[in-house]
Amino acid sequence: MGSTTIKDVLLSLIALLIFPGGLFLLFVGLAYEWIDRKLLARMQNRVGPRWFQPLADTIKLLAKEEVVPDAVDASLFIGLPIVALAGVLTAAIYMPFPGLPPVGSFPGDLIVTVFLLSLVTICLGLAGANTLDRFSLVGATRALTQLFAYEAPFLLALLGPAFVAGSWEISEIIGYTDGRWLLITQPFGFIVAVIGLIGKLEIPPLDAPEAETEIVAGALTEYSGRGLALFRLGKGVALVLGLTLIAAFYLGGVATPLLFLAKTLVLLLVIVGIHALFTRLRIDQTVGLWWRYGTLLVLVQWLGIIIWQGVMI
Amino acid sequence: MKFGTMLGDLTISLFSQPSTERYPFERSEAPERLRGMLIWHPEDCIGCGLCAKDCPAGALDVIVLDKESKKYQLRYYPDRCTFCAQCVYSCRQGCLEMSNEIWELAALDRSMFDIIFGDCLENG
Amino acid sequence: MSEVGKRETFTIPIGPQHPALKEPEHFLISVDGEIVTDVVVRLGYAHRGIEKAVESRTWVQSLYMLERICGICSHIHAMAFCLGVEQLAGVEIPPRAQAIRVIVAEIERIHSHLLWLGVSAHEAGFDTLFMYSWRDREKIMDLLEGLSGNRVNYSVNVLGGVKYDIDGAQETAIREAISFLEERTRHYLEVVTKDALFLQRTRGIGVMTRSQAEVLGTVGPTARASNVYRDIRVEAPYAVYDKYPARIILDNRGDLEARFFVRITELFESYRLIMEILETLPDGDLSTRIPRRINAGETVSRVEAPRGELFYFIKSNGSDIPERIRARTPTICNMMSVVKLLVGHQLADVPMMLAGIDPCFSCNDRMVVLNRGRNKERLLTWEALRQYGIDYYKRRSA
Ligand code: SF4
Ligand code: SF4
Repeated sequence: MGSTTIKDVLLSLIALLIFPGGLFLLFVGLAYEWIDRKLLARMQNRVGPRWFQPLADTIKLLAKEEVVPDAVDASLFIGLPIVALAGVLTAAIYMPFPGLPPVGSFPGDLIVTVFLLSLVTICLGLAGANTLDRFSLVGATRALTQLFAYEAPFLLALLGPAFVAGSWEISEIIGYTDGRWLLITQPFGFIVAVIGLIGKLEIPPLDAPEAETEIVAGALTEYSGRGLALFRLGKGVALVLGLTLIAAFYLGGVATPLLFLAKTLVLLLVIVGIHALFTRLRIDQTVGLWWRYGTLLVLVQWLGIIIWQGVMI
Repeated sequence: MKFGTMLGDLTISLFSQPSTERYPFERSEAPERLRGMLIWHPEDCIGCGLCAKDCPAGALDVIVLDKESKKYQLRYYPDRCTFCAQCVYSCRQGCLEMSNEIWELAALDRSMFDIIFGDCLENG
Repeated sequence: MSEVGKRETFTIPIGPQHPALKEPEHFLISVDGEIVTDVVVRLGYAHRGIEKAVESRTWVQSLYMLERICGICSHIHAMAFCLGVEQLAGVEIPPRAQAIRVIVAEIERIHSHLLWLGVSAHEAGFDTLFMYSWRDREKIMDLLEGLSGNRVNYSVNVLGGVKYDIDGAQETAIREAISFLEERTRHYLEVVTKDALFLQRTRGIGVMTRSQAEVLGTVGPTARASNVYRDIRVEAPYAVYDKYPARIILDNRGDLEARFFVRITELFESYRLIMEILETLPDGDLSTRIPRRINAGETVSRVEAPRGELFYFIKSNGSDIPERIRARTPTICNMMSVVKLLVGHQLADVPMMLAGIDPCFSCNDRMVVLNRGRNKERLLTWEALRQYGIDYYKRRSA
């Protein structure tokens, strides 16, 4: 009896820390970053990086000296990237990855997950506001502005499937959506969710918070070495998690690894396409777009669902 | 007003080879007129020194070894040369030419950048 | 009002080192939130003393020195200089040489405008357009390389003519490249005038009215986008532009979109000119002899560079070394318009509007002596000048 418990605990730990959570997830994040960059390069008729480039970047950054600027709170400066990465890795616990035991599953974990995913951006904003660098400050302001604009519609878009599934627990929603393509019944929700993810992760064209030609690297301008590596890893993992959530909720579930790969990669292709096709929006346009159209679309969606449910009853 | 006007380009590129030249791995042929390293043909040189006089970079020295037997040397510093071809234009004897093959001129060693064309007297 | 005045201004330095600028130049932007309230520009980081340097070089050597004022429009600088010197020397150069000069100048304009298209698209965050326009620009670079043997500083000019001929093979290459580019340019024109998201960043941004454009002394495509009829090729035709007249492209909107429209439409104009000149390329020599000592005198030479009017003042004292050469480049004329127009725009528009005039900072950095009110001339020795510099920066940093 005692031995089985220890074995269970060990297995769960391995599942969470090494495979398929934790360490493995970091590598998946890097791999997706590579696919992202490679696809973008090929769309632009370039060669693009080799497969190990993101890994090499990360190793190089980790090995580099981290310069802590004067006039920053050093503990915050060093701590924030760790919190950001820890946040997204925690969010992975509730994820419907094939093979990951839903150890921490509880009613309402969807909300927790979405907020844990936002932790990267919040940390980014705080990190920018922590320094005296003027680019960082502008970047931080923009990052936080964008975060507040995106949070609500993204959450609302994910609540659509939750609503029809009748539960706010991810594993139960997955159980409902498995095999059901909510993309067809809730197209607006899907669109808003994808654009929301782009905005949340500050992927171009919604990358005003780190617009290179205006404010250098935005909130991350002062970061070098380890801090930068951790933030990048965090973003990579957050991308994978976001793709997984959307694929699981809207594209008929990710029950097997193959389905997971196929669906998230198709989503990634869509996101890279949007990246390549559109011009960066200014921060006022980004926010305006969201409040004007994004929120409206989701609300229309919700109205539809409610009426539909009313009819069914 | 349209959205995604470049979609066509993206789709074509996604399924075709990148247009990047994979230079050191593949070398495309240099055009015929490429202005690479300077080459000196001493046969007709009259030692007038015009090439050195007109060179904007001071990359040429004409060394007179023996005026009687028309023995000259041309000292050429490829690192100073701006590859403008003024010397080629100035030389009325047509002794100068720019190679279209020797153009990878980077070197780790400065001795590469001090070239003396032409034999010394002793060697005949 | 006084509240605003009291509030500490938040300034953002763009440059001298900044990803938006490929050359060192400093813009100090004061912002209120995201809105620009004041702009201070500091030029001179790329001042190289070329004008002084040519005073100790022969006319022939000066040509190559001046060619290096600008990397992108190297040919037009050399051409302006050659035209001026040939005029001073009283030398008439063969018609074929004139025509080839103009063909290269137009190819250079294509190269410059395509380069600008890519740079501005990148400033707007539209990297796909950037990559594609530069990929197609490569055709032009290959053309120039095949024609002259070099991709940048082509050095086609010599005093008294040109060095390189356009033979049958070159001609076919030019025709092929142009027919390819014509199609691509049509596509780019559609992108910059139709793409909804791109227009969000250009339409109605940085509007410069016609009177503003005239008062601020803008030149080139920047002025033409504000409906100012200004093009040296038409107003004071040089080389063969009197036989092959260029058409001026105008737009009355004055915003960034208009500048995109004007520059891209000008590409078609360049294609047409090149084709026309190729059709009727006169036969004859490529160059004539020109004396080493240029007759004493002074002259002015004006040409239309891709960015606008390029002005050369050339003074000779009869020796083989120029007495004084003064270049005024288009960017310096257009610079004030940026400084003026930026106020009131969003911070995000700053890189776009800067790129909108197609700035070339190393061209820009010329020395001007303002001696108003001081009326005092001083001669400094090298030592004294050095000391002055050290003291000046000590004072500034204190
Ligand atoms: S190519 Fe120009 S710089 Fe080089 S040696 Fe000849 S004249 Fe001098
Ligand atoms: S210009 Fe020609 S002939 Fe005169 S010294 Fe130079 S290489 Fe010899």
